[in-house]
Order: sequence, then structure tokens, then C-alpha cells
Amino acid sequence: MRKTVFVLATVFALGALAGAVEVVFWTAPNPTQEAFWRSMAEAYMAEHPDVKITVQAIVEGPQGSEGTILAAIAGGNAPTASENIFTGFGAQLVEAGAVVPLNELPGWDELVAARRMTNAIKGWVFGDGNYYIFPIYANAMLFAWRLDILKELGFGEPPATYEGIIAVGKRLKEVYPDKFLWARTALVQPTWWQRWFDFFMLYNAASDGNPFISGGKLVADDEAVITVFEFLRDLNAAELLLTQPAENPFQTGLSIWTNFGPWGIPWMKENFPELVFGENLVFAPPPVPASFGYVRPHKTFADAKGIVIYAPHASGASDEQIDAIWAFIKWVFSSVENDVAWFRQTNLLPLREDLTTNPAFAAVFAETPELIPYAEELPYAVPPLKTPKVQDIQTALSEYGMIPALLGQKTPERAWEDAKREILSLLEE
Amino acid sequence: MEVRGWILTSPYLLYSLVFFAIPLAWSLWLVFTNWNLISTRVDFVGLDNFARAFRSARVHAAFISAYRIMGFFLPMVLVQSLGVALLINSLPWGRAFFSVGFFMPYLASGVAVALVVRGILAYNSPAAPIFKALFGTIPNWFGHPVLAIFIISLLIAWKFSGYYALIFLAGLQSIPKELYEAAELDGARFPTKLFRITLPMLYPAFYTVLIMAVGLCFAIFTEPFMLTGGGPGRATHTWYLEIYYQVFQNLRAGYGAAISFINAAITFASVLIVRRLMQRWGRALGYE
Repeated sequence: MRKTVFVLATVFALGALAGAVEVVFWTAPNPTQEAFWRSMAEAYMAEHPDVKITVQAIVEGPQGSEGTILAAIAGGNAPTASENIFTGFGAQLVEAGAVVPLNELPGWDELVAARRMTNAIKGWVFGDGNYYIFPIYANAMLFAWRLDILKELGFGEPPATYEGIIAVGKRLKEVYPDKFLWARTALVQPTWWQRWFDFFMLYNAASDGNPFISGGKLVADDEAVITVFEFLRDLNAAELLLTQPAENPFQTGLSIWTNFGPWGIPWMKENFPELVFGENLVFAPPPVPASFGYVRPHKTFADAKGIVIYAPHASGASDEQIDAIWAFIKWVFSSVENDVAWFRQTNLLPLREDLTTNPAFAAVFAETPELIPYAEELPYAVPPLKTPKVQDIQTALSEYGMIPALLGQKTPERAWEDAKREILSLLEE
Repeated sequence: MEVRGWILTSPYLLYSLVFFAIPLAWSLWLVFTNWNLISTRVDFVGLDNFARAFRSARVHAAFISAYRIMGFFLPMVLVQSLGVALLINSLPWGRAFFSVGFFMPYLASGVAVALVVRGILAYNSPAAPIFKALFGTIPNWFGHPVLAIFIISLLIAWKFSGYYALIFLAGLQSIPKELYEAAELDGARFPTKLFRITLPMLYPAFYTVLIMAVGLCFAIFTEPFMLTGGGPGRATHTWYLEIYYQVFQNLRAGYGAAISFINAAITFASVLIVRRLMQRWGRALGYE
């Protein structure tokens, strides 16, 4: 009897598996995001045994996850869908015809309304009027400060201006000659996406959110760019920057200032529990030149990403597989509980208009008060460039502008002139 | 008989067809197009890709980087591999064991090795105090253009020295012992034997190793990809980094293919120059 039951169960299980629609979902190379998607896939498959979802993290190289995705598309191994897509990369995928317009899939409007993002999603529309990315989160990027060391140096709070930062740096070198203000290897590396976490944080603040590229044209605020270059050059000239690799320099107190995204909070809490928000660690928006006269909140960069579904010729997916992954995405984001789980697990701020008003999220803010400054800064965060040439533009900005200016190889004015010339020729192509 | 010959060579022919002839023909077609690897639309652009590559500052940087790396890498790898070969050859026992040991870096994952090196050279690594004691400061290994090239060259030399040492070892073992015995009878010491017998007799091994090493300088990817991203600035930007960037980050397959053809032409030209120089040395040594 037992044997018969076992055989029948096996036959049914195999039968169910054989009839299941198989889809592949790639998550960001971040353990908390991967864990969230795995738990969602398991819950969904328990309710929908006719679907088999394989969740895999994108293998990220130094050039970011975009390179891996493009290589997979080129090799015909793209997943059915993936997250971790920002608007600039999305524009590149749209130009290549590699993604499907999500607003043409059934239930789009209902999903947008259910997730309370009717207005917030407007910035994600592409030139042809379609939505190719379903936005999941938007993080305002902030700078973290070692409050304990700041206090030792005689400063009660983080400085808000370039002049204040230079003063802190000079004092730091007097008291601790071996410490640095900011340790960041990427400052001298031309890796395009790293500019989000240094140049664009500072530029958005210095220009008060003036766009860099708009409508395919370079509209950057010249004075703001040159001022940012000057600031970086001055920091480097004063030996306040550490541009060589170091293990956890901020956490170990080797440096006292660093760019910081909310995704780093769970990791820092686990590995450096001695760093407590409000006691020896605080977050602050990017600084601005005092002469510009801006008052807080300063603008910053928004690290905002979402999901795309790859076109059949890029992923080899059938209509049935696209329908299956779309049903899964709708299932995940139609429920506020899932967004709460996402927020709790990843600490990435869901792109919902009711994030600060919906009581469902209050518990997460109470558990992780570090997230409050990120949520407060969100309205002042500027999203990435939305152009398919974002990689070339940001590489040119690095190679012709920011890096030579920082290293003192060119004057900031000359560096920006050179970068501008290169960016203009890229935009004309 | 002929049929059996075709059957026996078919694996090689098939391999060459699939992994060499077809990709070569395909990339030859690609260089004249602007295909993005995904789109069904392909435009013929003539020689535009080549014109653009010749104007590109990134390609110029890759060209210069290859020769800069060569300047460090060739002396390093020749000294290291020859030293290892001489060391192993002098061992009374365990030559095979040590040969395999020195060959291991060649098999090691470039990514893993780069990560370990990055950890060792970190500003606050356990090794940092040693560097500070040696140099008076902790060098900015990846932030200084010359140091970054030096470290990348050293890493590649470490990886390949065991492999090249095997070639030198084979050369050393083929030198007749009678030559050394005769030299010793004439009162020759180690330096004389090394420069008058060993090195000249190793000419065929030098020839092979130099050609391989020069070609390698135009095909470096993993180390700068993992350690410097081509920086600081473009100091360590290599040909393969540029091809990867254009093809897999910007989906410019045609342009990337054009760069790879230019890369191949420059590699061939450089190897040809080295070959001519080596042949001149060979003629001076009496090799035909």
C-alpha cells in the first residue's frame, strides 16, 4: 500500500513538474534581495504549482550587473525577467528591442493603482510612451559620517558645506595623520556607474537638481560641475582622500566620511554592531559650496531600479512564459505585505507614494531608524540619466573630466571643457 | 586510407571550423556592420568602425598600455621563468613535483588571484606595515599609473613563469652535459657557463617564450578588469577591456570586432618584429 502511494505521488509530482511553465528570474547580486525573491517564488509556487520559478542572483563583475545581463542577452541566455534595471540601462535595452512594454500586458493599470505609484511612476515612461521597467525601489544616496570621530575633532555635527568639510579634514590630519576623510578607490577608476555614488551625488546637490542631460542634450550646470571638480581636487591635494583599496575603511575608522546606500545597513549592523546610528554614526545629504547659499535639504542622487521582462528574441521565452512571470510580478507587488517584507529584508525603499503614511511600514521604520533619513531625503533625490548612452557619457565624464581634475592633471575648467566636448560628440552620434 | 586520414583529422578540423574559421568569418562580416547583437536590423557601415577606432582615445590608450605592460612583463617573466627552470634543473630529486608546483599559478583562477592580491595590497592589510617599513609609506598600488602597471605585470608574470619555466627546463635538459664538463676542465665558473653555454643553448626556448609572451601583452583582461577597471585614468586600459566594453557593455558588436581586428594586426606586427630580432640573435649564435 505504502509503495503504491509513493509511486502515485511520484507520478503526480513528475506530471505536475512536466506540465509546469518554467521561468527564470534574476535578482540583484545582493543577498537580502536574493533571499526576498526566493521566499516570494516559493510562496507563489506553493499557490501556483503550474509555474516553476528559478531565482538566480546576477553574477556581478567590476563593471556592474549590466555587463552580465548584456552578455547573457548576446549569448541568448537571458532570463525571463530580471530586477536591478535603472532607467539608463533600460533605455539601452529599449533601443536594442530587448524588453517588452509592460503597460501592454494585462492588469498594468490595476497593478500601478494597487501599489500606490500612479504619480511616482510617471518619471519612468520612455520616449515612445511605454513603460518597460516596473520600478521597485528608489534610494536617496546619503553620506555616512563617523560621529564619534567628528566629536573627538571638536565638531558636533556633520558639516553641510565644502568649506566645512575641508575644515574637518584639516583638523583630522592634525589629530590623526594616518586617517583619511574619504576612502574610495573608485574615485580614480573610470567605471561608469561609480559616478552615481560620487560625482552625481555632489553635482545634484551643487546644481540644486539641475538636469545633466535632458531630451538628448547636455544641459549640465557648468559652474556646479567645475565646483565639484575643484572640491575633489582640493580634497586630494590635502591628502584627505584614500584612493587605494582598503578593507572596510569607514567601519574601522580609517576614514570618517563615505557615500552610503541603505542596502548597506543590514550588513553593517551584522558585521559592525558597535556602530550605532545616532551614537557614533549619522547620515547626511551631500555637501554644497557655502557660496551657493542653498539650505537643506540638499539634492542628491536617487539609486532607483526596477524589473524588466525580456523580449522573446532576447531570452527565448514563449508568450506563456512571459504571461507566467508577469502574473508572478503582479502577485508580488499587489500586496502591501510583500512590500513591507521587501523593505524589512532589503532596507531598500519601495517606490510607493504611501511609504511614510501607510501604517504598514511604520514598524520597519521603528525597527530600523537609520532608514528615516533616507525616506526624508527621497523627494529631493534625482534619478539616473535616462539615455541609452549613459555608459559612454559617464565614462567620458570620468576619463576626460573628473579623474584628471581630481589628480591635478588638468585644471577643473579644462577637464570639464574636455569632458563636455566628448559628451557632445557622443550625443551627436 | 584517405578516408581513415580524414576521420583521424576530423576532430581537429571540426574544432578549427567551429572555434576558429566560423567566428573569424562572422567577425569579418561584423566589422562592416553596426549590429547590436540583439536587434534584427543590421546596417552596412563600410569602414566607419575602423575609422572610429583609429580616432578613439580609448583605443590609443589600449595600444600604449600593451607596450607599457610589455616593458615590465617581459623582463619579469624571463628572469622568473629562467630562474625557476635553473632552480628545478639543479635539484637532485623531485623535479617533476616542483615543476608541477610552479605550474599551478597558471591553472589558478585569475579572478581569485586578483582578489587575493587586492586584499594583500589593501591600505590596511596585514602586509601594509611591511610595505611601510620598506618604503617609508604605503604605496598607492592601484592609484599610481606606473605602480598599477607594475602590479598587473608582476601578477601576470607570476602566473606564466611556471608555464614558461617548463619550456626552459626542456631546453636545459637537452643541453649535452659534456659541454659543461669541457668548460669546467678549462676552468669556467658558473657565470661563464651560464652566459657562454646555457643561455645560447636555450635560444630555441627563448624564441618560443618571447613570441608567446609578446602576444600575451595584447590579450590581457582579467587582472585589470578585477583590480583597476582600466584606471587610474586609462593607465591600465587594455585591448581586451576595450573590446569587452564596446561589445558587452555598449552592444557595439561591429565596432568591437573592428577593434579586435586592429588588435590582431598590431599583435602580428609586434610578434613579427620580435621574431626578426630573435632570428638576428639566432644567426649570431650560429642557428639557421
